[in-house]
Amino acid sequence: MASADKLINTDVPEKDVFALHFLQSLSNLKTQNPLNSPAKSIDRVRKIKKAAYVSMARAAGGTSRLWSRALLRRAAKDDNKSVRFSRRKRKVTWKISSKRRKSNNQRAPVVEEAAERLRNLVPGGGGMETSKLMEETAHYIKCLSMQVKVMQCLVDGLSQK
Amino acid sequence: MLEGLVSQESLSLNSMDMSVLERLKWVQQQQQQLQQVVSQSINNSPELLQILQFHGSNNDEFLQSSFSQFQMLGSGFGPNYNMGFGPPLEALDECISRTSSCHMEPVDTMEVLLKTGEENRAIALKNKRKPEVKKREEEKTEKKIKVEAETESSMKGKSNMRNTEASSDTSKETSKGASEIQKLDYIHVRARRGQATDRHSLAERARREKISKKMKYLQDIVPGCNKVTGKAGMLDEIINYVQCLQRQVEFLSMKLAVLNPELELAVEDISVKQFQAYFTNVTASKQSIMVDVPLFPLDQQGSLDLSAINPNQPTSIEAPSASWETQSQSLYNTSSLGFHY
Repeated sequence: MASADKLINTDVPEKDVFALHFLQSLSNLKTQNPLNSPAKSIDRVRKIKKAAYVSMARAAGGTSRLWSRALLRRAAKDDNKSVRFSRRKRKVTWKISSKRRKSNNQRAPVVEEAAERLRNLVPGGGGMETSKLMEETAHYIKCLSMQVKVMQCLVDGLSQK
Repeated sequence: MLEGLVSQESLSLNSMDMSVLERLKWVQQQQQQLQQVVSQSINNSPELLQILQFHGSNNDEFLQSSFSQFQMLGSGFGPNYNMGFGPPLEALDECISRTSSCHMEPVDTMEVLLKTGEENRAIALKNKRKPEVKKREEEKTEKKIKVEAETESSMKGKSNMRNTEASSDTSKETSKGASEIQKLDYIHVRARRGQATDRHSLAERARREKISKKMKYLQDIVPGCNKVTGKAGMLDEIINYVQCLQRQVEFLSMKLAVLNPELELAVEDISVKQFQAYFTNVTASKQSIMVDVPLFPLDQQGSLDLSAINPNQPTSIEAPSASWETQSQSLYNTSSLGFHY
């Protein structure tokens, strides 16, 4: 029982870490396209959103989590950078999980259907088995709520000004 | 007496450049000698017992090799004895396998001798087997724990399997060893009355338990999930929450994009000042940071009420209220590691 409890370790760093990373990535964003560039607002939104997610993934421990790995990989793909992670491991997990998912669908269709939807939501969730998915989801939710708080604070501070 | 003989044997055998025929002959000779020795030593069994136990307990390579000589003659008990001895004796094992066809008959007589002799000797021999037997017994008990409601027939089957193992079937032995390794990192699953005990059902039950444990954990995290019963409903709630958070991020990034010109200036100010504050003065007091960054009330986030945005959200996701110093300390540690991506 104790070993199973150890598995569920979703410690999330402090809010300040998230804030710092977010600010860092925002300033990076600023250096990428200078102040008065005529960037479209949609593009800007997209970039800020991406910065938020990437900074969240970094603050949450870089590549230690599957979802943060997936997020960073996606970001790297967007930037046409070379992908930093080895892909072999992921392929293997995909094979296993695709097999398992097939058999799972026979077992409990309702739960598995919901889990499937959750897989689409959590980044990198496509190749996870259900128990791993739950763990990653827990961590992801914690980080996401933290990020939301940080962004809310930022918006509040700026709009007050 | 016996030890002297045996050690000589081992020394002579260690010269591996004998021809196969010579070796066969030699082995037969040694068997005959040893039979004699054993039949003699039935009378003074305590000595033999002592020697055997000595061999069993001593880890000296030389003695081990000599003892394996003895085992070679009694290899009707199987090559299992040699399993723990390690690489230096592999050559000897090969020897045994090569000559095994020729000394099958003397082996049988040996077995009879040992059986008709005192039990003590058998026990002493068993001392050698102890680690293995222990392992098996451990595994057995583990199985028992795992499957409480084990039927009698399966138990019988297991005991039968054990008997066949005891015979010198190496392939079975190795496969069993593999399964042992597998079983050691197993999660304990208990089968209640009426539950299936075959492997697939056990694995499935373990998996389901794992999932439900994590679901419970998620239930604590996700607000408003306590009222929902059933896994499907819970998952729906979790999905909704994640979607809500993601939409919130999107919405907030839109807001930030609207504030963008200001933001970029502000970010510059904030980040420069904050980085200076964090990296030059790690043990900065709360006041100094507040003076540096007046417009970014990070320490007030705990009091920030998100219920305006998400009415479901309780205060369960509050950050632990550590002191500012420890927070900044941890921040320094993590960020100094984390910025080199």
